[in-house]
Amino acid sequence: MTAPAPGRQRSLGASLLDQVLAETLDPAYAQAAARRAELAAGPGEPGAAPAAAARPGRARRRGQLLVALTLLLAGLLAAVTYREAAAGSQGRERVRQALAEDIDQESASTDDLARQLTRLDAQVSTRRDQALAASVEGQRALQQLSAAERGAAVQAVRGPGLTVVLADADASADSDPVGGSPTVAKAGLVQDGDLQQTVNALWAAGAEAISINDQRLGPTTTIRQAGSAILVDFRPLSSPYRIRAIGDQQQLSNRFIASPEASYVVGLAKDYGLSFTIARSASLTLPAGTAPELHSARPLTPAAGTAAPSTPDRSTPGG
Amino acid sequence: MIPLLGLAVGVVLGLVLDPTVPLWLQPYLPIAVVAALDAVFGGVRARFDRIFDAKVFVVSFVSNVVVAALIVFLGDQLGVGAQLSTAVVVVLGIRIFGNAAAIRRHLFRA
Repeated sequence: MTAPAPGRQRSLGASLLDQVLAETLDPAYAQAAARRAELAAGPGEPGAAPAAAARPGRARRRGQLLVALTLLLAGLLAAVTYREAAAGSQGRERVRQALAEDIDQESASTDDLARQLTRLDAQVSTRRDQALAASVEGQRALQQLSAAERGAAVQAVRGPGLTVVLADADASADSDPVGGSPTVAKAGLVQDGDLQQTVNALWAAGAEAISINDQRLGPTTTIRQAGSAILVDFRPLSSPYRIRAIGDQQQLSNRFIASPEASYVVGLAKDYGLSFTIARSASLTLPAGTAPELHSARPLTPAAGTAAPSTPDRSTPGG
Repeated sequence: MIPLLGLAVGVVLGLVLDPTVPLWLQPYLPIAVVAALDAVFGGVRARFDRIFDAKVFVVSFVSNVVVAALIVFLGDQLGVGAQLSTAVVVVLGIRIFGNAAAIRRHLFRA
């Protein structure tokens, strides 16, 4: 890298860059060398000659030691910096691992508690049924309760019906083969509106019970989107979404396929690559929905001589 | 030979001892390493040019490291730490490449 030809008009900025590019070596080296040459060629006094001759040897040794020490420092600096960088990334990895373990632990305990809740719920229901079956008013109340529970989707059901499957588009469907990413394009993801429309169409076609990916839909169950996850009854589900509907197979499939919502979803499948399949099933088993929260209760008082006893106040399904 | 030995010993010491660097000093370590590299390359080139001087080397090494770290520290206080750090790295990088080119010319021509 040489300096430009002399005599050329330069701007201030250009001269700074020229200087940086041209003087990559510390000018102090050249100056020290010039001074050394001066001393060697300078007026050599007769007495100073032998002393000057002995000096270089020791000076050279000392110089080498200094240089070695400095390089030792440089090596130390490099090694320490490398250590810090390596330790930093290791530390971050360990923190991530610890957090992932925490999440797993808490999820496991949550699942445990949910199972315990279901078990205790079943016990309470059994005791209640036993207690109610003991009297006539109780049995009537039990019948009403049973009908209400069926409507609230709190009982597991089995029967023939339809299985509709909606799935996200394939990752390769919309991506550029050269520079594309393996993730699905946003437009190819199933949205909560699509599921809502499909489920509405199924209800209108005469479905008696519907579940999505084994999450039973009750009268107040919501299908919502939070970020990129779809929540059904506040539980996150992932693609593919298997919608099972129990009802009369013939009527259900005919009316569903003829519905405008079905043609809308077919259009989505064609335009964005979503996958949409309909199949009849001879026997579907849908699990019970989440039991509603009990808000208030009144004891059954056997009214003397009245035909309609007071029934325990059941909270509205869905709490 | 002795200087190279010194470098090797330094690296081994650093890896084995694993000294803990105080937290406030840690962000300036990478810049210090680049500055040290610049001084070392300058020294090697001066060696090839036969104008090497031990005192100049030591002074340039220490001043390079201290000044580079100081500039970045000052930049951090003023709020332009990233930009100043970039500028220091760019200039040191240019110098390192210049010296490396001169060393290459010596090695493969002479």
